[in-house]
Amino acid sequence: MSFRQARWDEPAIWDLAPPNSTDPPPVIPGIPERMRRKTAVRWPELSELEVVRHFTRLSQMNFGIDTSPYPLGSCTMKYNPKVSELLARRPGAADLHPEQPEETAQGALEILWRLERLLGRVTGLPEVSLQAAAGAHGEWAALLMVRAYFRDRGELDRRTEVLLPDTAHGTNPASAMMAGFTTRELPSKEGCVDLTALRAAVGDRTACFMLTNPNTAGLFESDILEIAETVHGVGGTLYYDGANLNAILGVTHPGRMGFDVAHLNLHKTFATPHGGGGPGAGVLAAGEKLGPYLPVPRVVKQGRKFRLDYDRPKSIGKIKTAYGNFGLDLRAYAFALTHGEEGLRHVARRAVLNSNYLGLRMGRSLPRPFRTLVKHEFLLSGAPLKARGVRTLDLAKRLLDEGVHAPTVYFPSLVEEALMVELPETESKRVLDEYVAAFERSLADSPENLRAAPRSLAVGRIDEVRAAREPLLSWKDLRAAAGKAETPGAVAPG
Amino acid sequence: MRERSALSPPPLGESPGSRLPRWIPDAPGEEAALLSALGIASIDELFADVPKKARIGKMGVGPSHEEPEVVREVDRLLDRNKPLSKFANFVGGRIAPRYSPAAVDAIVSRSEFYTAYTPYQPEASQGMLRALFEFQSLWVELTGLDVANASLYDGATAAGEALLFCHRVRDGGRRFLVPASLPWEEKSVLRNYASGPGLALDEIPYHEGTGRLDLDWVRAAVATGDVFGVLADVPNGFGHVDEGVADLKEILGAIPLVVAADPLALSVLEPPGNYGADVVVGEGQGFGIPPSYGGPLLGLFACRSEHVRLAPGRIVGATRDADGRPAYTLTLQTREQHIRRSRATSNICTNQSLMALAFTVYASVVGPRGLATLQTSLAEKARTLASGLGGIEGIRAPRFDAPYLGDFTIELARGTPREFLDRLRRRKVLGGHPLADPRPGAEPAPARVLVSATEGIGDKEIQKYIRSARAAMEVA
Repeated sequence: MSFRQARWDEPAIWDLAPPNSTDPPPVIPGIPERMRRKTAVRWPELSELEVVRHFTRLSQMNFGIDTSPYPLGSCTMKYNPKVSELLARRPGAADLHPEQPEETAQGALEILWRLERLLGRVTGLPEVSLQAAAGAHGEWAALLMVRAYFRDRGELDRRTEVLLPDTAHGTNPASAMMAGFTTRELPSKEGCVDLTALRAAVGDRTACFMLTNPNTAGLFESDILEIAETVHGVGGTLYYDGANLNAILGVTHPGRMGFDVAHLNLHKTFATPHGGGGPGAGVLAAGEKLGPYLPVPRVVKQGRKFRLDYDRPKSIGKIKTAYGNFGLDLRAYAFALTHGEEGLRHVARRAVLNSNYLGLRMGRSLPRPFRTLVKHEFLLSGAPLKARGVRTLDLAKRLLDEGVHAPTVYFPSLVEEALMVELPETESKRVLDEYVAAFERSLADSPENLRAAPRSLAVGRIDEVRAAREPLLSWKDLRAAAGKAETPGAVAPG
Repeated sequence: MRERSALSPPPLGESPGSRLPRWIPDAPGEEAALLSALGIASIDELFADVPKKARIGKMGVGPSHEEPEVVREVDRLLDRNKPLSKFANFVGGRIAPRYSPAAVDAIVSRSEFYTAYTPYQPEASQGMLRALFEFQSLWVELTGLDVANASLYDGATAAGEALLFCHRVRDGGRRFLVPASLPWEEKSVLRNYASGPGLALDEIPYHEGTGRLDLDWVRAAVATGDVFGVLADVPNGFGHVDEGVADLKEILGAIPLVVAADPLALSVLEPPGNYGADVVVGEGQGFGIPPSYGGPLLGLFACRSEHVRLAPGRIVGATRDADGRPAYTLTLQTREQHIRRSRATSNICTNQSLMALAFTVYASVVGPRGLATLQTSLAEKARTLASGLGGIEGIRAPRFDAPYLGDFTIELARGTPREFLDRLRRRKVLGGHPLADPRPGAEPAPARVLVSATEGIGDKEIQKYIRSARAAMEVA
């Protein structure tokens, strides 16, 4: 183990300078006295270099795809092409206001229009909107479209239930709830939808069945055509969670599988950077049935001109201030243009090849709960570690000491002590082999060392229980806590 | 086929259009080694679980392209845009075209930050967690509230989340009140957030002369006992600062008050927490984030400590590591979708963390004095412009007799806003944007334009606007 992360003893930004003046800001004529700020914003006055140095040091205490393999399952942490970063910063992309006239943004509209057409073909659902900011935002909007559809059919009063498998991402039930539905989770069978259970569950209350395919166990739902028939047979709609689309590009698509509506995450399959938590870019794709309900505006082409069309009487309206995350859409377009038909197909093939290889290798150390033919990701169970007094969490922390990120852990919940692993198509065999070696070294380490991990990072094992029990959520909280502890000037949390 | 070439250009130059992108490793023998380890002859075998009937042929998305070709093609498309810098630009509003010091993009471009995922392993992600903790602290200082989350998608969705938050805080009532002057797209977004749980969005009328909220109307609405929350924006949709917002909490009592505030305005305005706001939301794009045709943006959300367990979104907390040293982590996660599923406070997962970083770096580079100075200078430009436009026959500027900062509304006595703005554009002036719902069937709106004094304009541009507006009205 030779990895060491930077460990800067960097103070919080407010401790880099003495408190700033509390003098009130300049008076703006006409603003009534009671609406004026009485004291300056409490924030340090720093030199630009001090600010740059502070955040540069922070950046050195952070893993990214560019520093480390990042095998978070269902997150598809592939290489974020640099050329996309370059293009998104062009003045013709960055210096555009969504309210400027369409005539002055024809290139932006054409990029959106092309990307939408392209995604319509990739998904087999031709009606596409890029308005959603992220995947979950798209899920919620799609369920509002489902609501609007059943309202038009006079069935909304009874179609109140959304069904999902117990392997579903947490956003699925949460989005369904926000869209006004009740949810019912169906137990899966060997990691996949139990068709018998689904047949028993569907009925005239079913508004929608939400499914990820391949699912979060990394398994392709081979009964998908029967699933679609079952849901459609009772008049329900079928929703495709596109988080895992990367595995099936060019092999199948939601349209062919019978889905009515889908969301995609451009920050997964189309390689836009995830920014340490966001931004993402959500895509809504729908077939004939739900297409008319997509948010307004829609990007349309008339003759040689592109424009935003608001004349969609059935539309659910707006879901975001402006059209979408254009800066990300542009990056995704550059990615798609680079790959083309063959490239996109190869993305899925190599991602699945990597995943099966890694599954084979890592599966020699820990049990794999379901069948071993997987798509983009696979599950391992850390349950056997418990005999050594070690948990999946310890293993994850120990992996960090190898300079690699840990897999997704403790999800999905149907697998005890789960690890969910995905290293997509941009990782070479060498990296996969190195990851396996790091994994094996971690497993072979002593239980004491595993429980004491990580030791090579900016901080050691973090006390998360304390964070939740005694919440300190801002500088203001830290000041209050310091005051309580009667240690003036103390800045350390707790 | 025409459609294919419309999606992606025909191969440019000498490209064979079939080479695989170099981003997918293809060292000689690499694929063969992987296949051989798996004991299979072809990758096709790994797709044996996809039923034949579910398979597709070609997608029809065109050929691949080399990097220089992609750059050329995207640049060709971007050249068809006219960036704001080509105009004297007065288009602004919630999305503010503002100069961002180069230091901001330099930090945001650090790939340790931008290629990271959500900090699920906090020990490996202290940099982003600390930046987000500083971001939360900054929004707390600006708003006068106690707790901020680590960001939402944008200002409108933050307002939507605030609506649902109020419904959790105030268990009872079906009506949420918003100003009738709120931009139409925000009302539309809010209606969608309200529609799931079957809540109603009602519009508070404004006084014709001042654009100020009709507080008597609010009083009467509250008396029905059916109101669970009220949102007011500062500045409002017309650009004005309505001091009536500071009287709302007294009328509302225990009913939560949401204030949607512009962060730059808060450098000179009273923190809404000081006049009773229970939630402050906002659009943070103006702090270091380019407008990028509308995204990515930054949703801001802060609330009071006692309600934090009902708040949406990720929250970073300070704690300690095993050696007792300060450390940071995502916390109070039992509110969130990945744990609470259908009982979560929100479905949000991906947020706008990188934009929150930009916001924090911007505010720190510009500093509190710099922010207030910038807001003061924008207000001065706006006053000069409004007084110039007000002297033109046929233009009422500002339309409302109320104080303003950098934005204000004008109303045209004749002609449509679109015609007016088109005439200005021919003279290289982007004169603002129409304040009307563009959807067919929307209620007819007065001919109003929101005009913004943006950072890039000086006296020359202001005079140009005034001359162009006069000329435009002469032919209207």
